[in-house]
Amino acid sequence: MSIDYAGFRRELEAFARSACPPDIRAVVAAGQKITKREYQAWQQILNAQGWGAPSWPREAGGTGWDIRQRLIFEEVMAENDCPPLYHHGLGHIGPVIIRFGTPDQKARFLPRILDGSDWWCQGYSEPGSGSDLASLSTSARLEDGEWVVNGQKIWTSHAHEASMIYMLVRTSKEAKKQEGISLLLVPMDTPGITVRPIKTIDGWHHLNEVFFDEVRVRADNLVGEVGKGWTCAKFLLERERLPPANVARLELMRRQVTQLVEQASRAAAGQRDFSGLHHKLLLCEADVKGARVMMAEATDDLIHQRPLGVQPSAIKMTCADVAQRLTTIALDAVGPDAAHRFLADAGQDVPDATWIQNYMFTRARTIAGGTSEVQRNVVANELLGA
Amino acid sequence: MATSFPSLFPGMLLDAASRYAEDHIAQEIQGDPVRELGWTATLVPEEAGGAGGTLSDLASIVEGLATHGLQLPVVETCAVVPLLLQAAGAETAHRWLEAVAEGSARIAPMVALSATPEHDAVTARHLDIGYELSGVVEGVDLTLPATHYLVPVQMDGDDAIFLVDAERIGAPKARYRTMEGRLGADFALERLAVPEGACLARGAAVREARAKATDAALLLTAADTVAALATLIRQTVTHLKERRQFGVALASFQVLRHRVADMYVKYLGAKGLVIHCFHEYEQGAADLRRTLRLAKVSLAESARACAEAAIQMHGGMGVSEEVLATRTAQRLIASEFRYGDRLMHAAQLLAPPQSAERVSLSNQTGSVR
Ligand SMILES: Cc1cc2nc3c(=O)[nH]c(=O)nc-3n(C[C@H](O)[C@H](O)[C@H](O)COP(=O)(O)OP(=O)(O)OC[C@H]3O[C@@H](n4cnc5c(N)ncnc54)[C@H](O)[C@@H]3O)c2cc1C
Repeated sequence: MSIDYAGFRRELEAFARSACPPDIRAVVAAGQKITKREYQAWQQILNAQGWGAPSWPREAGGTGWDIRQRLIFEEVMAENDCPPLYHHGLGHIGPVIIRFGTPDQKARFLPRILDGSDWWCQGYSEPGSGSDLASLSTSARLEDGEWVVNGQKIWTSHAHEASMIYMLVRTSKEAKKQEGISLLLVPMDTPGITVRPIKTIDGWHHLNEVFFDEVRVRADNLVGEVGKGWTCAKFLLERERLPPANVARLELMRRQVTQLVEQASRAAAGQRDFSGLHHKLLLCEADVKGARVMMAEATDDLIHQRPLGVQPSAIKMTCADVAQRLTTIALDAVGPDAAHRFLADAGQDVPDATWIQNYMFTRARTIAGGTSEVQRNVVANELLGA
Repeated sequence: MATSFPSLFPGMLLDAASRYAEDHIAQEIQGDPVRELGWTATLVPEEAGGAGGTLSDLASIVEGLATHGLQLPVVETCAVVPLLLQAAGAETAHRWLEAVAEGSARIAPMVALSATPEHDAVTARHLDIGYELSGVVEGVDLTLPATHYLVPVQMDGDDAIFLVDAERIGAPKARYRTMEGRLGADFALERLAVPEGACLARGAAVREARAKATDAALLLTAADTVAALATLIRQTVTHLKERRQFGVALASFQVLRHRVADMYVKYLGAKGLVIHCFHEYEQGAADLRRTLRLAKVSLAESARACAEAAIQMHGGMGVSEEVLATRTAQRLIASEFRYGDRLMHAAQLLAPPQSAERVSLSNQTGSVR
């Protein structure tokens, strides 16, 4: 049966406009930081419609949409200022549990991701292990049928609002550092876990340090085989670098920034020279078009289980680069007006100043989820050999 | 490494400021260090009880503070204010300069941090008794307490300067944390009545004082940028040598080595340019303003590139405000938007030469509404 893509798009458009609450759309439209409140409310609305996990297989609660439908979904949602899907549950750990988890784990965790009742965070990085993730040292030992976790994670996004953390732990000391690592699912309210906020360059609170002191975790919360967590971790990272929403969101951001530049340019009435910014915007527009095709091709490979090669790295680098260039253009456009309003009193929103925070926040796009230098190493190794 | 970053403005003032900044780096600003340390006296002539110093002396203080990442409104308080006061007649200027030097009057400029002191945000109207001031000034530095504000205004097509009690002006309509961690505020003056004596000066003397204050602000901000660049690179070098990943120091990765080398070369260029600006200033070069605008555009480009590179090379630490390099990166980017951004200065540079300096300065940053 052939799919009526145009009809599908219309259905999504009608839904996005009627179902997404105006206050949530306003946050997205203004380019403000999306928090648990918006993500969670939107997830519940999508789930009630049966669209809670567009990219999961139908048997796990997904939609069974084909690749083109998924891309249309992302584009329509971005075009209508709906929040992106919350990545840590739906995009990262969900697919890992679907692929490597036990039936019991699937039953316990997947429905709670779908209906938004669990909010996940990622405990990979440690103070001594960032790009060199395999050197991690947070340990878990088996004692009386439970894992006992000790150590520290850092740069943990959303840990302060999460109910669950998926984390890499060292379960044995093998000669090769990738071995002896396991993937553990841990409720954040377990005694012995302490979360400390990290003050970041963008003025938002999203990063944390997480400390584990004799934290006891059910033995059956370990995913896959003991000591084979690296396989899950790599599977997850490939998906982390390929979120289909990224490209659709870039187009949204490009339109927002274009509007901003036009406004600022009118307000400056020839007193500031915007020609360079207009030129840079054109280059971004071209790059987004190229990225859309890259993304479509990669998603197609993912669906047909063809090897992804360097595509996740290439797409991650491109999206990060374009996002940084766009927020830099926004910074230039609003900077003189907004640099002094970096943070307002009592959480008051200042739309122009939000773009300064966005510029700062976007610096992390080339760091989080594997730095651009490390992605370049991946691409270069593929081309030139390790 | 220390010898690779020789001070631009060495001397006792630099050492004192640097030591002070180092000791107070992690603390909230208490009291009024700029006045307590006597820095407001730097540019005030000796006959008015000041130190009779030069902009280079003030640059020493700016450099010392930037080296350790401390944010204080030295440019506003110690350069813009005394230079604007010079517009007043000898006796009035003397009295207020004396008060500035001894710290009995705490005068702040009522000028947007993003605009130059040549910019008019406020207009004045002469009444039967006194004057009436109207206008919105967004992004005034309020890091330190003020007893008076110096307000540049437009009055009947002429330039003028008013000195108004802070009490009369009242509270700002909004307060913010600026990008580099200062306190910024927006003021709205609505037909604010001020007495006759509030008008310190008008006409050519005001234009000259505003031009001098603008040059000084641009020069000192450029010095701040170069000092901050040195700090940024020094911190990055230390990080790359100390941080280990994959069993080796980050400093062994060639891509990072090249990146930090590029930063250093940019720093050397920026330093050269700022020294050139100070030479032109000291020689009273006719081209000074054009050179300062060029420096503004060029330093913005180099500083932004270096700030972004340093953040990237620090990895996660690069986005944490607990790290000096990160705060320095913020400072560098904020400085781009002080006293006219690069788009404004570029527009002036690219404007036909005969009208370059006569383009109306109103609404040049869009901050006056
Ligand atoms: C906003 C943000 C959110 C994050 N969220 C999470 C999260 O939720 N969970 C989590 O586990 N982690 C998270 N991270 C951590 C992130 O994954 C790490 O920051 C990243 O892997 C880099 O590690 P690092 O910070 O230790 O930097 P380092 O590894 O110390 O890198 C420092 C610099 O050295 C470069 N470098 C390192 N190795 C090489 C090499 N071999 N060749 C060339 N250059 C190299 C890097 O590219 C970088 O420029 C987050 C980070 C940020 C900034």
